[in-house]
Parts: sequence; C-alpha cells; structure tokens
Amino acid sequence: MRGNRASAELRELREQVEGIEASIAELRRHHLRLAELADLVQELLVPMAERDEDRVAEAITKFQHGL
Amino acid sequence: MAGVALRAVGAARWVSARMGRTRVVSVDDRQIHLIVHGEDRVVDVLFDGRRIWSFWLMRDTERVPRRLDHRTVAWPDRMRPYFKGRTELVLREHVADRDLHREERQFGEATSRVAFVNAQGLEISLDKSGRFSPTFGGRTEEQLTPLLDAMDAVIAMMAELGVDAFPAYGTLLGAVREGQFLGHDSDADLGYVSRHTTPADVITESYRLQRAVIARGFETYRYSGAAFRIDVRESDGSVRGLDLFGGFLDQGRLYLMGEVGTEYDEAWLFPFTTCTLAGREYPAPARPEKLLEAMYGASWKVPDPAFKFETPRSTTRRLNDWFRGMTVYRRDWERRLIGMGGRTPKGGPSDLARRVAAEVPADAAVLDVGAGIGGDSLWLAGEGRAVIAYDYVPRGSRGALAAASKRGLDLESRPLNLTDLRSVLSEGARVVRQPGDRVILARHVFDATNRTGREGLLRFASLALRGGGTLYADVWTGGSKPPFGVRPLAVDRLVELTERHGGTILSVEAVEGGGPDQQIQRMVAQWA
Repeated sequence: MRGNRASAELRELREQVEGIEASIAELRRHHLRLAELADLVQELLVPMAERDEDRVAEAITKFQHGL
Repeated sequence: MAGVALRAVGAARWVSARMGRTRVVSVDDRQIHLIVHGEDRVVDVLFDGRRIWSFWLMRDTERVPRRLDHRTVAWPDRMRPYFKGRTELVLREHVADRDLHREERQFGEATSRVAFVNAQGLEISLDKSGRFSPTFGGRTEEQLTPLLDAMDAVIAMMAELGVDAFPAYGTLLGAVREGQFLGHDSDADLGYVSRHTTPADVITESYRLQRAVIARGFETYRYSGAAFRIDVRESDGSVRGLDLFGGFLDQGRLYLMGEVGTEYDEAWLFPFTTCTLAGREYPAPARPEKLLEAMYGASWKVPDPAFKFETPRSTTRRLNDWFRGMTVYRRDWERRLIGMGGRTPKGGPSDLARRVAAEVPADAAVLDVGAGIGGDSLWLAGEGRAVIAYDYVPRGSRGALAAASKRGLDLESRPLNLTDLRSVLSEGARVVRQPGDRVILARHVFDATNRTGREGLLRFASLALRGGGTLYADVWTGGSKPPFGVRPLAVDRLVELTERHGGTILSVEAVEGGGPDQQIQRMVAQWA
C-alpha cells in the first residue's frame, strides 16, 4: 500500500515538474515576442502617429531594410 | 566461465590498446579502415598537403564487429562529390604532428588532381560544423587584411554604440592560444556582454546594432534574437562572415549566444585587457582563459579541429527559449531553394494556383506566400496578374524573377519571415496601405512552419486581406508521402486558429487527384 502511494506521489511530482518546466519555457519565449513588438513600436509608432503618408512609407521601408 | 572469458577479452584489449601502433589498414572510396591504439585523439586528413577534414579516432569511428581494435570511419557525404582524380593522401595526428598514413591515391578515372575548390575557385575545407568553406589555413596576410580591418571597424562601431565587442569563440581561442586565426576555422566571431540584464532588452539592443551596421554599408544576416552575421568582402572576392554574438550577465551568471551559460564573476570580464591576433591588438575580457573554459571546457589549450560543443541541455534550452525560434526550418529551405540554383521554374502550375486564377477577379493582386522557387508566381504573372512572391528565402525565386522580367510580367519578390513578428507586421502594414483587391495563395505553408509561423501567416492575412480579401491554402493532413519540408496538420485546428484571427471560413474540402492516399485539404477563408 505504502509503495503504491509513494509511486503515485512520484508520478504526481513528475507531472508537476514537467508542468513547471513547460510554464518556464512559455515565459522565456515571451522575451523574443516582447522585443519584436517593442522594436516595431519604437521604430514605426512616431511616423505613424504623425499621419504623414510619405513618412510612414519611408519608415516602413527603412525598418524592413534593417531586418 | 563466461565472466572469465569476458575479462580476458577486456584485458587483451587493454594491453593491445596501450602496446600497439595506430595505423591505417586500407582506404577506399567509401571509408577509412584503421587499427586504433591508445587515447582518443584527433587526426587531420590532408589532400596534396592541405587539411580538408579532421576526425577523432574513437569518437567519430565505428568498431568493426569481432575485430579487436579495428575501426572504420566513412568519408563525409559532402566530400564525395570532390573525389575525382589523383591526390597524395595523408592522415596526420593533429597534436603530435605525426603521419599515420601516406599514399598516392586515385579516385575514379580522372587524370587531374583532386581539387577542393568552390564555385569562385577558392580552396575550401570542412569546418567544425561539417560544411565546406574557405578556412583560414593557407590564407596570406594580405588576404586576411580585409577581415582584420572589418573586425577593427565593427569593434569601433560597437564602441560608438555603447557596446564593448571582443573576439569570441574560435577567434578568441586562436588569439589566446596561437596569436593567429585557427587554420581549420572559417569565420571570425565577435561577442559582447550587454549592459542589460534581461533577454528582451538584449534582443532589442541586437536589433539596434544590426540597423547601425547596415546603415554603415554592410550586408547582414540574422540567426536569432541575439546573434547576426556581418558579411565582409575580401580582396579575392570571397565573402566572409563575421558573427556577432550578444550575451548578458545576470545575478552572477553569464549567458553568451550561442553556447555559454555558466556561473561567472564580473571581474573576469571587466576591465578589458587585450589579445593579439595576426599581429593586431584586440580587446579581450579581463581573464580570457575563463571565457575560453566556459566555451570549450578545461581542455581548451589542446588543439582540436574536429571540436564539437557539448553545451548542457539546460543552457541550450534557455538560449533556445529566449533568443531562437525566429528562423524556423529556414536552413533546410535555404539548402533546398538556393541549391536549385535560381533556375527558371518548369512544369505547370499547382491546382491551387489554377483555382485562384479561375475564381479571383483579374485585377486582384496575388500574394504568393511561401513562394519557393516561384513556379506558381511566375505562372500567375503570365496569366496577367500582379504577383508578389513572398518567402524567407527570397533568393529562391530569382530564376522566376529573371524570366518574368524578360517577358515584362508584373512579378515582384519580397522577403517575409512568418516566425518574425517584425517582418509580418511591417509587411502587413505596408500592404494594407496599397489600394486594390488582394488574395493570398499559401500552398503548403501552414504545414511547413510551426504554430508561431501559422499565427504569423494569419496575422499577415488579417492585415493584407482586410476589406474582403480571400486566403487560399492547401495543407497536408497525413498519409502517403508528404511534399518536401511539410508536416501533417489537423485541418480542424487550422480552421479554429483562422477563425480566432478574424477569418470567415468559406470552404474546407479534400483536394482530389493528389494521389490515392494523399490527404490534402484546401481551406478558403475571407476577411471582412
């Protein structure tokens, strides 16, 4: 009985560790997405906010050239 | 009894391993057969006096069954196409500088000498990643000057941008151990440790540095969120890559793209000292040997042209999660599409392209996403459509572009990387501002990328198709043999994802005529 309980507990702990590892990986992956968005906003937001069509086009071209 | 026999065989091996002489038994077009004694060590393979390949006597060889100490190693596949003609073949122990074998050898029937040269006529050999490239061995000082100049320029440029760059990995190893580039190395590496302490900031900094490098006239190529290559043209016309790896220190741990993650004392980095490389001085971390140990392990002082990184899984996972994942499967596609050599696509259009041509108003532009070599793009342009061929390997469609230009067709090629949000959103923002109707053709794209890429394509669609545009997509759902680079995808999950990105599903149906067991589904969706 005790053996059964220990192995069930072990299984549960293993599942918990796997779950925690997966969550950590998910969180780590947010860095890249956050950086991509931050970069995009930083480079394109100001020209877009000015609503100057030529400047927007120029900013997009320049941004894409730097990718 | 069996135990005694096993022990006897073991003892015989032990004695023989220490007593005998390592030698080559035979060489043929397939493999090298050796008798190996003593410690595992690295051997260079020279053709007419030039090192082409290196391998470890134990690690890289296989034991011949039932033959004590006999081992074989197959020639790398990439070498075989060059096996034409005669050569003086030498196997030499790298560290002891002792010849194990020497023979004049004939491969095939050609009477010329075996020549390892690339398309530009430059001498090449296998580097540590198992790829042929013009390695440093045999390069003259004059030939190295442009690379050294470029290193100077990039380090100075980085300093202006607030980043202290230094020679890293093989370049630092060569400088510290030999004062030279390593003969078997093929590129120069620079590294820097950011002042930032979080990966997101390190990535945005790396983006900023890349823009600055481009603005100064260099071509670049991004590997990940924290590393990119700067292309430097040398005096003989060869283009050599200068890799720039970003890193950061946080709470006493150093992470440096792409192999380092270790406990690290800041005092081992700063203040910088110098190292000498090919007669020039370069900045170096305060204790370069500590960094070399973190990169190559405690045995960094022993030369190893066949070195393989054994980065701990925990480090690889961190670096993968933080910085990688923006060039998913790109290398496979580069190999395939660039390998096709820019030829003009032949053969008819796909069934999906025919469907688009039949259904879509003639004045709607076609965005062919994942265009590959541009077969469908070229055909649709030939049908009088305005077409943009998108791919993250835009060079793949250069044959189609040349053919379109000759025929005066409206075909344009643009880069689009579905696993890089910056690429997806900026191109979406560019396209949505253009007037006119549009459709997207995505033949085996959702099934050739990962979830990030699928979401990237749907984000792009939701921008580019705003106001009534239609997406036509074929996906392989399993069964029979898949097209190149394609993985099975459950169509109901794709439908769900499409709806979540604002698409209205017009139809989902099996594609007929794809072969008896081919399970290809076609999804047509529209954005309001």
